[in-house]
Amino acid sequence: MAITFEHVSYTYQAGTPMATSAVTDVSFSVPDHSYLAIIGHTGSGKSTLIQQLNALLKPTSGQITVDNFTITPKTTNAALKPLRQHVGMVFQFPESQLFEETVRQDIAFGPRNFGMGETDAFKLADAMLQTVGLDSSYAERSPFELSGGQMRRVAIAGVLAMRPQVLVLDEPTAGLDPQGRQEMMGLFERLHREQGLSIVLVTHQMEDVAQYAEQVAVMRAGKLVKFGTPHAIFSDADWLQENQLDMPRAAQFAQRLANRGLTWDPLPLTAEQLADQLAARWPQGGDAHV
Amino acid sequence: MANIIEVKHLTYRYQEDDARPALDDVSFNVHAGEWLAIVGHNGSGKSTLAKSLDGLLPFTTGEVTVGGIRLSPETVWQVREKIGMIFQNPDNQFVGATVADDVAFGLENRQIPREEMVPRVTAAIEQVGMTAFTHREPSSLSGGQKQRVALAGIVAIAPDVLILDEATSMLDPQGRRDMLALVRQLRTDRHLTVISITHDIDEAAGADRILVIDDGRLVDEADPATIFAQGERLVKLGLDLPFTAKLKTALRQRGITPPATYQTAAEMEEWLWQSLSNT
Repeated sequence: MAITFEHVSYTYQAGTPMATSAVTDVSFSVPDHSYLAIIGHTGSGKSTLIQQLNALLKPTSGQITVDNFTITPKTTNAALKPLRQHVGMVFQFPESQLFEETVRQDIAFGPRNFGMGETDAFKLADAMLQTVGLDSSYAERSPFELSGGQMRRVAIAGVLAMRPQVLVLDEPTAGLDPQGRQEMMGLFERLHREQGLSIVLVTHQMEDVAQYAEQVAVMRAGKLVKFGTPHAIFSDADWLQENQLDMPRAAQFAQRLANRGLTWDPLPLTAEQLADQLAARWPQGGDAHV
Repeated sequence: MANIIEVKHLTYRYQEDDARPALDDVSFNVHAGEWLAIVGHNGSGKSTLAKSLDGLLPFTTGEVTVGGIRLSPETVWQVREKIGMIFQNPDNQFVGATVADDVAFGLENRQIPREEMVPRVTAAIEQVGMTAFTHREPSSLSGGQKQRVALAGIVAIAPDVLILDEATSMLDPQGRRDMLALVRQLRTDRHLTVISITHDIDEAAGADRILVIDDGRLVDEADPATIFAQGERLVKLGLDLPFTAKLKTALRQRGITPPATYQTAAEMEEWLWQSLSNT
């Protein structure tokens, strides 16, 4: 069950003189309903890795299991339809893929394509619109007269309309303002918590990793170089520095206090965690919790 | 300090019959040599404002003066000599087949003779640390490298004012830091005035002064510490909360009362250390 990578490698243009290895011998496993963050520098193989989750790219060698689906180099395209329904992909700047005349039609496009009747698909579209935080007045509007943040919500509603169990997000908040980012990350958190969706998030935002992820995979030059909980990943300051990865702000701040002699158990990764530990040792007993 | 830009009662409507103008009676000055950040949520009008300064949007009401020249259809090219702009998406601003061609484009446009152009291009590319990429295709570069090339194009023209229109928002954290460090250095070396339109709290924190735009109006104007002291309201204005403000909120919820004024991370660290040591 859940998501398992077993010795997965991917080579672009394999078997030609142009062959470029993008992912090398990656193995890891996350349980059902988990929230996995994938971090690493631009070009480290993150996007190549996640495109194999719904077989947009099939591994050159190795095997991927997503719930009941198995993807190998020999997987045929005929078998992919149910997998692509099961694993929803939100690419970078997904709003660039909107094309229909109305928001409702755009969201309903996927389900219609998979054989759902118009009435049901439109009803589903309206429900998904609500899920992403837009009221029904948007259904009849052209997606192209919406703001960038609203367009992105519509694109995500279109992916959710396929009722995926796994949601793969490639830098979903890039280019949004801070409030838009917060709302978007809150939406994914709700889908994860309330509907049990598994989330795979590719991100550069360490604050989001600290706040939301349960597991973290660190990629470097096509290899999985570290895998663990956010606490395990962010506790090793020297290793992070060597790999030019940032610590979350709260951890950086806690580290500065540690340099003066404070001890943490464990190292706080968010402002909330930091405040908890500060309150516990605050003079006057720290019993003034509200 | 002398003003390099003066904006008086600027109003702009995208459509003549728009009930609400995109810019509504905006007035402010930019001092020569300062770093001015303009913040506001998406759709607040801050990019419209930046484009108006460069004559990219023909406003009908108000007055813009750049380096003593009043912006008008007749003077727009003189004004553009003084301003270099970098936009959010680096892919939308390349014209050359190689990095060098691209950097040379602005000079060719200004009919700079070749013997002067070649060294200026070389020097500009060197200044942004892209010499190794001189003959590469811009499309093969990373986002951060592309923005460096865009900066080189501006360095080559040597304008007085650099406008960054969310120029770091599509870069990864390392790329963003590198780019801002480079802009800071160019500002010193070239005596540039920098106007940065941004959502990034670190970019805004580095400014001398911040203007806040909301619904097309200038609603606030102060140094970063004063703006950052506004707490939760910052999010509505299109900025993130500084980390110290987040931590203060979390502490207050636990019955601890930190100072109400904005503190930098170092100041807050000191305050916490003192408070914890007083036992």
